Amino acid sequence: MLRNFIILTLASFAFVACETRSDVEIANEENILIMGNSAEPKGLDPHLVSGVLESNIIRALFEGLCVEHPSKNEESLPGAAKSWTHSPDYTQWTFSLNPDAKWSDGVPVTARDFAFAYKRLLSPDPNWPAKYAEMLYFLKNAEAYHKNKFGHILCGNDTNFPLPWDTLKEANFDGDPTIKLKSFNDKKFEDLKKSKREKLAKYLQDGETIDLSKITPKEVNFNDLSSPEKRIYFNAKGIDKLSEKELTFLKTQTDVIKWTDKVPENIRQIVLDRIIEHHKAKKPSLWDKAKVGVTIVDDFTLKLDLRGPVPFLHHITKHYTWFPVPKHVVLKYGEINTGLSSPWTKVGNIVSNGAFKLKKWRTNHILELDRNPHYWDNENVHLNGIRYLPVKNLFTETRMFGDGQLHITYKVPAELLKMAEEKYPKSLRKEDYVGVRYIRVNTAKSPFTDPKVRRAFALAIDQKALCDKVLMGGQQPASGIVPPFGDSQPAGVIQFDPEEAKKLLAESEFADPASRPEITLLTTDSDSSLREAVAYQAMWEKHLGIKVRILQREWSTYLSRQFSQDYDLAIAGWIGDFLDPTTFLEMWITDGGNNNTGWGSKQFEDLLKEAENTADPAARLQILAKAEKTILDDTPILPVYWYATNYLIRPEVKNWHPLLLNNHPFKFVKIEK
Amino acid sequence: MEATIEKNNLPEQDVEKGTSLWADAYTRLKKNKLAMIGGIIVIAILFLCFILAPILSFFGFSANSQDLDKTFSGIGQNGYILGSDNLGRDLMMRVLEGGQISLLVAILATVLTVTIGIIYGGIAGYVGGRIGGFMMRIVDGLLAMPFLIIVILFREIIGGHVNETAHFLTSEWGWHKDTVDRFANLIPLTLAIAGFGWLTMGRIVRASAASLAKQEFVEAARSLGLSHRRILFRHMLPNMLGPVIIYATLTIPSFILYEATLSFIGLGIEPPNSSWGKLIKEGANFLESYPTVLVIPAILFSLTLFAFNFLGDGLRDALDPKASKD
Repeated sequence: MLRNFIILTLASFAFVACETRSDVEIANEENILIMGNSAEPKGLDPHLVSGVLESNIIRALFEGLCVEHPSKNEESLPGAAKSWTHSPDYTQWTFSLNPDAKWSDGVPVTARDFAFAYKRLLSPDPNWPAKYAEMLYFLKNAEAYHKNKFGHILCGNDTNFPLPWDTLKEANFDGDPTIKLKSFNDKKFEDLKKSKREKLAKYLQDGETIDLSKITPKEVNFNDLSSPEKRIYFNAKGIDKLSEKELTFLKTQTDVIKWTDKVPENIRQIVLDRIIEHHKAKKPSLWDKAKVGVTIVDDFTLKLDLRGPVPFLHHITKHYTWFPVPKHVVLKYGEINTGLSSPWTKVGNIVSNGAFKLKKWRTNHILELDRNPHYWDNENVHLNGIRYLPVKNLFTETRMFGDGQLHITYKVPAELLKMAEEKYPKSLRKEDYVGVRYIRVNTAKSPFTDPKVRRAFALAIDQKALCDKVLMGGQQPASGIVPPFGDSQPAGVIQFDPEEAKKLLAESEFADPASRPEITLLTTDSDSSLREAVAYQAMWEKHLGIKVRILQREWSTYLSRQFSQDYDLAIAGWIGDFLDPTTFLEMWITDGGNNNTGWGSKQFEDLLKEAENTADPAARLQILAKAEKTILDDTPILPVYWYATNYLIRPEVKNWHPLLLNNHPFKFVKIEK
Repeated sequence: MEATIEKNNLPEQDVEKGTSLWADAYTRLKKNKLAMIGGIIVIAILFLCFILAPILSFFGFSANSQDLDKTFSGIGQNGYILGSDNLGRDLMMRVLEGGQISLLVAILATVLTVTIGIIYGGIAGYVGGRIGGFMMRIVDGLLAMPFLIIVILFREIIGGHVNETAHFLTSEWGWHKDTVDRFANLIPLTLAIAGFGWLTMGRIVRASAASLAKQEFVEAARSLGLSHRRILFRHMLPNMLGPVIIYATLTIPSFILYEATLSFIGLGIEPPNSSWGKLIKEGANFLESYPTVLVIPAILFSLTLFAFNFLGDGLRDALDPKASKD
């Protein structure tokens, strides 16, 4: 007992003796950067993550064709590509890769790795859990390939093919997801629930009856099915999943499956013929058939064909979705699309082509990177390593910074800004960040069916007071959707105007308070969004006399309610992926995956298309500004403010300049002792 | 005639004035200084929250109106007696109106707890045997369910109906919307807390009912042919009240704490209305920058908890003759 006590006492003295230097001071000696990174990364596979914190790590591990400039937003430096050229209309880009670029195991980085990476991310396999494949849709045919539309893939590249992709994409290639054959299980049509019967009824004509038990099992002899039964069966499966035999039958009776009216009989035959051909050829790789615009000219030359002019492609290649993955390692530990837990990214397996390589990863504790000795520009990399600490609680993180445990924090919460300003005036950064905070409106629900009401709600938000008095982090009132950067000017349409708001509400169909149903404002359960919600609530009550109810839901419910359009108003935000207005505008196309407002406009989509085909950057921006104005005129979303980032950084960290995307290139970061 | 003695002829000083159980308890309670201070504080806080706050709001003080130009005023600044919070709302009014919610939830839930507990526990104890045992096993079963899940269930099930009723009251009967809304969303919370809280009360009552049921006066009442209901509520109930009242005063602070816990994790009342738990939660984030926002509700909250606990302790000593004979 006494011995233990003595040992303990001695041990505690030893601790006290060590404590004289903080973690940061020790790290400064070792030339290692310590960053707060908010949470445990979901993984390190660039194709399977979508968060900002994962991107912080992946940008240090991997390197894309181009690299961010440490201080200039509009510039790109050579990364894995030594140089690049583009056709005058910006539709074809050629990158010459740096022959010195190597993976961290010494294997050279070639054009094959890039092509492999794009093929992998765009994989049409429905079980492939990639989150961000849309980022590659700039490539020619990438969207069709990813969405696995046989008809388009097999015929869309044919210059003689008479139909544009738009008409064919309506055809029932994927099958009707609302019909689940398995659930029929020997049931009779009459036994099904009403909702299910309604779903099937659209394939039936009056008085037709079907025997569901015949179409339940997996392998059905479709010859035994009656004509209405065939219609259910074929449509539930979709053309993509039909067998060769079934396709041959379909040729004789194409109306069994749902096509849009725009697809005439002869086109149906051509599509089916080519699909059958594809089957007979034992299904060659779709990638080859689809001719996605990626060409390996030689080992060190990569040619990219784009769906239209993209003058800012070099910006996009800095996004982690465009990074290469090591073909030889991915295939060593799995198949091209082994999604689950992606074994090649485990410690010991992973190799990377960036300035750093993975050293150790202790879950919920630390993720540590080490210098990559094979990196082509190794001699100009200053840091010896980076440590990422997953500190979830931002208050804890700020205290850790004060304790000398971190060089850089992830974020300073608004509550602590004043304290940080007083205590660490030299360390606090308030920087612009390309992102917009807005309130999403469900335009299918009254009273928001009337654009005047939506606009009244938008104009009744005192954006400036909110930014200056509540958020206090340097956010800017959003007069439009797209934040200002480079040559892109703010829209200047939405501005606080309570009089106009009142007038609009009085003019609307819902001027009478009795005609308005109760309105709810959906938000997440975080304190900061609640604070905002309460502020909006008070503003609308004050300026419009409408009291909304705040509905706080945890993150996944919050998301799913928006996806199923089960909300009135929802506070949301969008961070730009690259420096171009399209990253903020493209989500608002009709039925876009992140639209969820029920709003859509032909005029808006036409303008986007027009911009897609315009090569001149200035003219393009003008068209996009016009497109933005079409949204704002209809106000399916109420822009509130443009984001800013607030974080703490120690003064000895150099070459860390404000960047609009907050994607700081780690290879230039320096610690000055 | 001579054998009877008129009552009023007796010399007064010779007869010890009979005191009831309650009067006895009250004299004992009066001697307990801590309990008396607790009682005074409780009354003062009740006065502040339920009488002063409505008067103030009648004179234009408001707990929810924001003035974004006057955020984080200190004590006495900008016309705010206790300062303002991060959205420029009057902290004093928020604390008082928050107190209304917290105290109402606690008191209502206690009343419900006592009522259900006495009826259920009383019957279980009086009937005894298999039926009584079965009734208590149900209580055991319910006790095993996690509290939070019950609360969430209650909120989901009752919440919608309550909102409909509130809407009906405001639109059809013209009640004041803000007030109705504020108190409407306290109902599911109260029911949830009471729905859980009566279980312990039921056990306590059953225990004392079971022992009373075997006593002579109950036997006597039974042999006189009184109805079960009369025996239970007229004869046994007064004898059980002691432990019930003690337990009730002690549950009030624990229910205030429940409310605070639920509000703290976001299951409490709806924003923008406040309760003490909510205010403390909001304030905790500003600990480094603006401590008053946390300190003011925290002081009032802890003061109330202490006061109720002291009062409860005092009542226990006072009402339980065995515990203190003096």
